[in-house]
Amino acid sequence: MKYMLIIYGNQELWSSIDPADYAREIAAFDAFNKKYYNSGELLGAYGVADAAATKLVRLADGQPAVTDGPYLETKEYLASWFLLDVEDEERALAIAADVPSAKYRPVEVWPVLHEASRETGVDIGVA
Amino acid sequence: MTGNAAAEDLLREFAPQVLGVLMRRYAGLDSCEDAVQEALLAAATQWPATGLPDNPRAWLLTVATRRLADILRSESARREREDAVHVATPPAVLVGADAWLADAGTAGARDSDDTLTLLFLCCHPVITPSSQVALTLRAVGGLTTAEIARAFVVPEATMAQRISRAKQQIRAAGARFTPPDAADRDRRLRSVQQVLYLIFNEGYVASAGAALQRTDLSAEGIRLARLLRRLLPDDAESAGLLALMLLTDARRAARVAPDGALVPLVEQDRARWDRALAAEGAGLVASTLATTSALGPYQLQAAIAAVHVEAASVADTDWAEILALYELLARVSPGPLVSLGKAVAVAMVHGPAAGLAATDQLADVLAWHHRFHAVRGHLLEMSGDTASAADAYRMAARYATNTAEKRYLDRQSRQVRGQ
Repeated sequence: MKYMLIIYGNQELWSSIDPADYAREIAAFDAFNKKYYNSGELLGAYGVADAAATKLVRLADGQPAVTDGPYLETKEYLASWFLLDVEDEERALAIAADVPSAKYRPVEVWPVLHEASRETGVDIGVA
Repeated sequence: MTGNAAAEDLLREFAPQVLGVLMRRYAGLDSCEDAVQEALLAAATQWPATGLPDNPRAWLLTVATRRLADILRSESARREREDAVHVATPPAVLVGADAWLADAGTAGARDSDDTLTLLFLCCHPVITPSSQVALTLRAVGGLTTAEIARAFVVPEATMAQRISRAKQQIRAAGARFTPPDAADRDRRLRSVQQVLYLIFNEGYVASAGAALQRTDLSAEGIRLARLLRRLLPDDAESAGLLALMLLTDARRAARVAPDGALVPLVEQDRARWDRALAAEGAGLVASTLATTSALGPYQLQAAIAAVHVEAASVADTDWAEILALYELLARVSPGPLVSLGKAVAVAMVHGPAAGLAATDQLADVLAWHHRFHAVRGHLLEMSGDTASAADAYRMAARYATNTAEKRYLDRQSRQVRGQ
């Protein structure tokens, strides 16, 4: 069963971490990724750029219109996500609790329901 | 059957036998299994060009033995580099290979014992069920890591990691290539049966047209269950397991609508059920129940499935018989999902109000489970309370973790509301 773990944050939170601790936090995430890649349970770990870099694309009269994202003012925005493939929900929750930032901010755990087949592009059940 | 398909069948049949021979000689599941896998890959690339060797099993054994010698040599070389302790290549690898190739043509009883021992080892309790499944598919089923990864929709590197970790864990647990003790055997056999059922179900539950590779997992589950039944012809639950798979698979074509939505039993076009599979499954469960001394959950679930396939319609179904079987099942293997199945039978025999009352006590344990709400929706619909039925179906759709089931439940919710 696949699950997505999502972490949110904001610049204020990143800035509040002491530079010395910051290196330790990064190392903790590297260790977390290594641990679960090695167990065969982590399919991918991704971090996004600062909210300032976010763009929005709209289709207006068939033409794409690109603007800056509206996330600069939002309190919390997407920071990272992890895709897991684990035995059951209990295991996904245990891994979520092991995410190094869980001590600062909650980790969202979403069951993944749809996945498109790489070969045909057609939706397949993944549960 | 094409030449390639015939060669592949042979490879898959010989895979556990060749692995068994290596394991008896050298133990070490991880190295032996890697060696056999490489021999299988070599055969898959060479045989189509060169044609089948005269003695395919001996060919595989020779190539796997050479590969094992290479693996053990490079492992001991690595150990030498790492800690400067000289570890010689086990001399048995360097001699003897030809001598026991003599036994290559004579399969028979020992191969059966080996394959059974291998099944027990792959389903070792120290590894998780999904690792047991992956390892069984590779070591006993003879599938490649790439095929297994594709079937479970994970990257090949992830699956390779999972399999190699599982082998390490089995080694660390000190497991040997010997059958489990008599005291432990029943419990271990139950996990083998559970793993085969998981393989079958993985292919069966996901079902949309795109998921052809997963359908192959059902076929693999059936192939391995046939193998287990051949290995243990007197074991009633192994027979029950095979019967259950055949009876379930018989309904496959009728189970999914063209748009990928699930079609429930009530609405299935029974003309599309596979009569040959159904007859084989029903025959097997009947002969097993006639002689069994140990009634178990697979036999009873197969018996329930047999009652369904033998009925011409939902109305013609012998629900009293199904209820009686569920009562036995609840005694042999109690659990909330069994109670839920029984509640449906209660409703069909004694009316929807009795069925709903039977589900009430399950609310605490099953409130998060889509099937609980789906059954409630069905029984509420039967009782004429369409508003509550629509709510229950919608709740079921929210909890469903399978695309086809979710689509069906969404549709039910809208349909009932529209009445």
